Amino acid sequence: MLLVLADEHKEHLGFLNEVEVEVVKEFCRIAMEFIRSGPNPKLYQSAAQKLGVASETVQHGVEGLMFLLTESARYMISEIDFQDSIMTLGFSDDLRSVLLQLYLSNRGEIRTVLSEMSMDLPHYHNLEWRLEVTVAGRTLRHQVTPRLMMKLHTQDSGEKDVQVLQTDPVNLLHLTQVLEGALSEMKSTHCRRIVRNIK
Amino acid sequence: MELSTEVQEGLQLCGDSAQISDPAFNFLVKSACETLLQGRQRDRDVLDDPSVTQADPAVLKQVFASLTTLLLEAAKHNTDSTNTSSLLEDCKMSPDRIEAFNNVYMSNRTELQSVLSSTGSGFPHIVDVDWRLDYYIKNNHLDHVNEPTYLVTLKTEEPGSSELKDVQFACTVEQLQDMVGKLKDACKSMEKASQT
Repeated sequence: MLLVLADEHKEHLGFLNEVEVEVVKEFCRIAMEFIRSGPNPKLYQSAAQKLGVASETVQHGVEGLMFLLTESARYMISEIDFQDSIMTLGFSDDLRSVLLQLYLSNRGEIRTVLSEMSMDLPHYHNLEWRLEVTVAGRTLRHQVTPRLMMKLHTQDSGEKDVQVLQTDPVNLLHLTQVLEGALSEMKSTHCRRIVRNIK
Repeated sequence: MELSTEVQEGLQLCGDSAQISDPAFNFLVKSACETLLQGRQRDRDVLDDPSVTQADPAVLKQVFASLTTLLLEAAKHNTDSTNTSSLLEDCKMSPDRIEAFNNVYMSNRTELQSVLSSTGSGFPHIVDVDWRLDYYIKNNHLDHVNEPTYLVTLKTEEPGSSELKDVQFACTVEQLQDMVGKLKDACKSMEKASQT
């Protein structure tokens, strides 16, 4: 699929065409830093002074580059499509190959960063268990009740949660059987067909 | 098994035919047991029953409390009829009444013990599990995620609450495999422990 760039976006990126390739590479590095840790206004100031342009121009250039990268990574754009998309910007061949390299080498990382921003449900992290036998309690002496104690670790966007649960032998077997059935459902023809066809 | 003075006094009153007639005694022992096993709905009916209307209400109350205490304490310590008999003899109860009590006690002892074992504190107890398999296609930041996701709901019972509480979490195929692997280990070690 081709990326359609807005006119404003094209304007911002047009700045990259006016500077040397080395400077563009520097901008690429700044854009990646922006994606990883957020903007750094001081850098824009010093770069603008060195190049003799307004710091706003530098900022727009970097942000434009960053937006180009995130949108391409989001839609998993192929090499050819990426090159075709930036064709409209009128960049030199050198510049185009630099941008392509930047995109391909950082695509995985950008997707990881984007996935951290997206909604997450509390998901399973670890399960610890131990087998115990209750021998007595305040309400009843002389017991021999087997009990399985479990600690369920879950994580929700970085926040960890621990829950202590218990179960008895019969329910443990039932639980294991039901979840094994759930796993085998992945291997059914229906699920395989869906996984194959939605790409 | 030790009983407090009030309970022992109550048992003595219970054995006294002048205060509690024979039919009243039989009724009281049975209804004490039923109240313990079935809940508090029967409390009011006890005072209305014809066999106990001649007795003094204060005496009735003490006798009923002593009988329920004795039933619970005996079940708690898993005492047999010889022990309860000697205890009731110390409270000067007639052998007929002792036998009547023991019959009710012994025939309901296991049920009383299961009520006692489910009373008390504990952690949420898993009784059932629901699951759902979703295919995660995209979100508002990222396209082509394409990952199958399981949503698992563990249904738990907590002591003191009649409703089931849910513990929900999501997992990928690998995470569910990890969890099922650990559960299978637990099953195996449970089987080994039960064989030794």
